[in-house]
Amino acid sequence: MTTSHDRPAGERFTGHGSEWRDANLSPGEARIATAWVEQKVDRRSMLTGKERVADVRDLMWQLEKDGEIVVHRVSEGHQPVVVKTLYGWDKKIPTQRLWHHKSCGQCGNIPGYPVSLLWLMNELGVEYLDETDQTSCTAWNYHGSGIGNLESLAAVFLRNFHQAYVAARAQGLPDGYYYPLVHCGTSFGNYKEVRGYLLHSAKLRERVRQILGKLGRLVDGKLLIPEEVVHYSEWVHVMRQRIAERRQIDCSGIRATIHPACHVYKMVPEDAIYDDAILGGNRLAVSTGLMEALGARVIDYSTWYDCCGFGFRHIISEREFTRSFAIDRKIRVAVEEARADLMIGHDTGCITTLDKNQWIGKAAGKPVELPVMADCQFAALACGAHPYKIVQLHWHASATEVLMEKLGIDWRAKKAEFEAYLEQVKGGKQENLYDPRRMITSGPGYVRIAARP
Amino acid sequence: MAHAASTRVQTRIGDPLSGAPPVPQAKLEQIFKDIQSDLRYDHELNGCLNCGICTATCPAAHYYDFSPREIVQLLWTENLEGIYDAMQEKIWACAQCYTCAARCPFGNSPGGLVMLMRETAIKHGMESAKSVLRPFSRVMLKLISTGNQLAPDMITRDHFPDWGPNVSKIDAPLKILRKAIPMATLNTTATAWEVNLRTSVELYTIWEETGVLKQLETIDENLFDVITDFMDEKREEWQDWLAEQEDGAD
Repeated sequence: MTTSHDRPAGERFTGHGSEWRDANLSPGEARIATAWVEQKVDRRSMLTGKERVADVRDLMWQLEKDGEIVVHRVSEGHQPVVVKTLYGWDKKIPTQRLWHHKSCGQCGNIPGYPVSLLWLMNELGVEYLDETDQTSCTAWNYHGSGIGNLESLAAVFLRNFHQAYVAARAQGLPDGYYYPLVHCGTSFGNYKEVRGYLLHSAKLRERVRQILGKLGRLVDGKLLIPEEVVHYSEWVHVMRQRIAERRQIDCSGIRATIHPACHVYKMVPEDAIYDDAILGGNRLAVSTGLMEALGARVIDYSTWYDCCGFGFRHIISEREFTRSFAIDRKIRVAVEEARADLMIGHDTGCITTLDKNQWIGKAAGKPVELPVMADCQFAALACGAHPYKIVQLHWHASATEVLMEKLGIDWRAKKAEFEAYLEQVKGGKQENLYDPRRMITSGPGYVRIAARP
Repeated sequence: MAHAASTRVQTRIGDPLSGAPPVPQAKLEQIFKDIQSDLRYDHELNGCLNCGICTATCPAAHYYDFSPREIVQLLWTENLEGIYDAMQEKIWACAQCYTCAARCPFGNSPGGLVMLMRETAIKHGMESAKSVLRPFSRVMLKLISTGNQLAPDMITRDHFPDWGPNVSKIDAPLKILRKAIPMATLNTTATAWEVNLRTSVELYTIWEETGVLKQLETIDENLFDVITDFMDEKREEWQDWLAEQEDGAD
């Protein structure tokens, strides 16, 4: 517990609104007051104080036992790390042999997001496959428009995950060799929700089984269900100490705010990772754990619980809502209340919304400036990745240059290097993080090559 | 229908200001029946004490005449006219963050219920749904035809003028900037990543089998025509490739 008596002069107690005034309690009084609040208010109780929450994986194992489904296991070969979720349940996070399930919004708009992740994996010697045989989860469109339905979402989910299961065949490796790692927060939330409905409804399973049968996407005539649905931020979380060991830049002067993504922890909240050692277990552990491991200071703020304003349809056609919410409820609060140097996210739509909408604030006479990026992008920067070739910060509209200066990165020099590199690219000599022949695993353009040594 | 027969609202009042005719009772009942028939309905609606936690934490409620509590109450009390009315505009305000679902002490999912209402609005070809989705057609075209919702060539100054003067802070042709991304799958401009031909063909089967194309036809016939033409071309391309393989094997 921190009190006004042991805080550095001028340092505000964080996590409260601007109306907050220091009560100047003595250390003893503060301890009594804090203990009372902790007894009465546990922020996790808003999520856990409910009935009828069951672990859907129990149902999954029973269905497999009954011969209804096949479970794609997180095996020893995936070198899993076990973490605790909201209710203290175990979740296995695979750390090796990963199949990248990309995000359309990240790849289309924030390419430095997946590139930073793959770069970190290369640094850590992680085996992976990035291939062309995958669709997006289609849930952005669904949540925005209502075009789509439970069956289509379920069929897309199981098709993509089946491909992850069989993808290694292209390299002469066995089924189940790779385990899917989902990049997008909405895909992550949607897939978990849909998995739950599939496990609960025999009718849905039968309908989807017919569709996947037509596609040749069954295993022994059965649906293939993943043991765990895993988000990339969970991989980053369990690898955070190993990432931190590779840190090249001092991050201790950085005041970071975290924007936890709604579809990562509010959809199927029982599957989100919490850790009592990270913000007392009262906040989602991912991203915060990484930033603390890298030595940055994570500052709480009063609107941490709010969404970013993305809205799925709103970002396209109700932009007044999106930008007002992003600026007034998130960015401005982080800047004025937490005096943040940056905001870290772990989802596609949030990063886009919080990053891109700052420009219009300036134009409207309400300037507010805060660098915004994904946790893995910051980790890559801290570990010495090139800010433009790898982290691809030129696609970000927010003031990432200010952050780089604070980190001691000469962004002008790096930008000049990248511009010179573009000339090389024009001549057809671009660099790749992996052998590009691996990206096609069937159909036109497929070339069989051996597994990565 | 058991639910409709027990509804409290038995008399249709129409709209005395605009003179709009009353919506037939049978139509209101069918709309409610369609919402209820989704297997998610009973999972997402468990009861409601009007506590309002959902609305207190709802981002859309800050800016619109929208309340997730109201949506839950309309469905819970089977207020057929109220449901129909909410489907004209209110349901489109929801930002789909699911904060309401995470917070509801009953385990309701107002955001999930909104999705069932949106799907039903589309199924019934409501003009309000057509109107609200018109600006979204570019996204639907991209997603249904390619499997990618967003592509680099969609992010332009014309489409996102409020995002600032530059799509990229480094001035270079989009094609070159994309080629400079060191993930080979991302060296594209018309899709977020290069999509395998077989993937697209499989996705089209899913759209057909699950009624998504039918939804699209109801809401935008022109867009439906464009997309089905595109799908036919891709399928032909796939068949040609398969034929080539067979020829090669002979």
